Amino acid sequence: MDLQPLYDSVLIGDAKTTRSIVEQALAEGVGPQQLLDDYMIPAMDEVGRRFEANEYFVPELLISARAMKGALEILRPLLADSGSQTIGRVIVGTVRGDLHDIGKNLVAAMLEGGGFEVVDLGVDVPPEKFIESIGETNADIIAMSALLTTTMPGMKTTIEALESAGIRNNVKVIIGGAPVTQRYADEIGADGFSDNASAAVRLCRDLVNA
Amino acid sequence: MNGRERFFAHLRGEAVDHLPCLPITMQFAADLIGVPYKEYATDYRALVRGQIAVAETFGLDYVNTMSDPACEAADCGAKITFHPDQPPAVNESESLLMDKETLVHLKQPDPSSTERMSNRLKALSFYKEQVGGQLMIEGWIEGPLAEAADLRGINRVMLDFLDDPSFVRDLFEFVLEMELRFAKAQVDSGAEQIGIGDAAASLVGPKIYKEFVWPYQKRMVDALHEMGVSVRLHICGNTSKILEGMGKLGCDIVELDSLVSMADARETMGAEQILLGNIDPVRVVRNTNPDTVREALEESHREAGHRYMVGAGCEVPRDTPKENMQAIVDYARQHSPDRWEESR
Ligand code: B12
Repeated sequence: MDLQPLYDSVLIGDAKTTRSIVEQALAEGVGPQQLLDDYMIPAMDEVGRRFEANEYFVPELLISARAMKGALEILRPLLADSGSQTIGRVIVGTVRGDLHDIGKNLVAAMLEGGGFEVVDLGVDVPPEKFIESIGETNADIIAMSALLTTTMPGMKTTIEALESAGIRNNVKVIIGGAPVTQRYADEIGADGFSDNASAAVRLCRDLVNA
Repeated sequence: MNGRERFFAHLRGEAVDHLPCLPITMQFAADLIGVPYKEYATDYRALVRGQIAVAETFGLDYVNTMSDPACEAADCGAKITFHPDQPPAVNESESLLMDKETLVHLKQPDPSSTERMSNRLKALSFYKEQVGGQLMIEGWIEGPLAEAADLRGINRVMLDFLDDPSFVRDLFEFVLEMELRFAKAQVDSGAEQIGIGDAAASLVGPKIYKEFVWPYQKRMVDALHEMGVSVRLHICGNTSKILEGMGKLGCDIVELDSLVSMADARETMGAEQILLGNIDPVRVVRNTNPDTVREALEESHREAGHRYMVGAGCEVPRDTPKENMQAIVDYARQHSPDRWEESR
């Protein structure tokens, strides 16, 4: 079966076609991991590249992410059954007091598209909630987003809270959002920073492989 | 020359003593007079006091009515969270038009009687009393996409463009009518210029901008001109890919954020378009010092040429050092429009 249309349908964000190709391919015996690794993730990588290159914008990225998500709903139980693991689990959220979520959603979508399992805590997330979620999910990485200089300190507070809870060494912490810089990440002891969603995926891949 | 005279003279291309200065301040203004932001956003007396305090303390040429993007949506009945010392915000997870059908029954709010819009109208009348004839009085409306996002949810409307274009057009029609009514009421209350804030327009690419957003922005600008006021367009974020359209709207002033090249904007929009901006509100205005602020403005001014007004790329953040705010105004005071190389 020619699976190039699967790649194409994720790339243009056609959720219906994506699902039906996935279903058909599975029926013909193609493995779920192969669909994901050889077609869908590469398609999302290309989506990310186009976004970085100013060829795709927020609507295009969100619609591809939705196509990806729909297909993942079919694939996820099968992947779990076949014993294959996600490459990592990431908790994402916008920090306390901050309601900007477009960037955070894009990061979550790209991570999911990149093969990670994502736990999205939404916006206005206090440190306690990040910590609670680690207990519940056993996540590998926390990804925090902040768009306001007034809420950025919430990232530092969350890292401090991880330290006092004695679990700082159990997770990696990455941060991002328009006002955030590598320097700030170094200053507060985060494990990584990136200024765009597809680099966030590379960052997480490196961190779980380290 | 007072601020109002300077502003309008430069707008008309007449001689001025120095550059007009119109940075946006909101939280900075509330902090300056020590009122919690909720009060600034909901009580016109606080807003007016804050704006006049900023204008007088630092020497701005105008005052405005902007406080947060949730004003019109609130009066449509959207759920708004009023934080004690933060801007009121639309609650996106319970947005008014979560269900698209709701649009059909949605009533146009009457600006003179609904709570938040009428508060802005009162601010304008109060400005007229206090600083009329001295400072330019600017009113404010949301652009088609920004307001559509406030009513429908920004993440939702982004998908609607691709899923349901005719819904987006219906929504934009509603928004256009509402904003123009609001604008008319503002003009009647004393606004001499109307600013259009369409932040979300920087998130869509040139295709969606041209096909959906631009036609409504254009109708908005034309209708405002018919009301006899000048128009400032404010789109924050990276608008590099939609500059051409922005330049063709016929706005009196186009304000640019720091992510855009002023030189590109000048080239794209032609020699006569007044450009305003575009230094980084956070990395420069808030985080550096007067010297760096001045150098950054010098660069914007040089790239923009003489059809230029001084401002930051977007709102001056709340914890900006006062001397940096002063440096913005000082740059304007020390430079005439056609002199950017050296200070006088
Ligand atoms: C849209 C927007 C809004 C919308 C948000 C809607 C929503 N649901 O998100 C609304 C209208 C609600 C809003 C409100 C406000 N906003 Co606002 N907003 C913006 C705007 C225009 C775009 C932000 C955006 O979505 N960008 C697009 C996304 C894709 O970019 P991004 O978030 O940076 O994400 C990318 C990367 O940073 C990275 N990334 C993001 N998160 C993460 C996380 C990790 C872990 C990693 C690795 C990477 C990463 O990947 C993303 C994709 O590539 C910016 C302007 C600008 N120049 O950016 C202002 C801006 C962020 N807002 C600003 C302000 C001041 C406000 C208000 C206080 C305004 C007011 N007075 O009402 C309120 C605050 C509300 C609150 N409590 O949060 C300021 C912030 C200044 C500052 N630094 O303090 C900005 C910069 C505008 C300005 N003044 O210059 N805003």
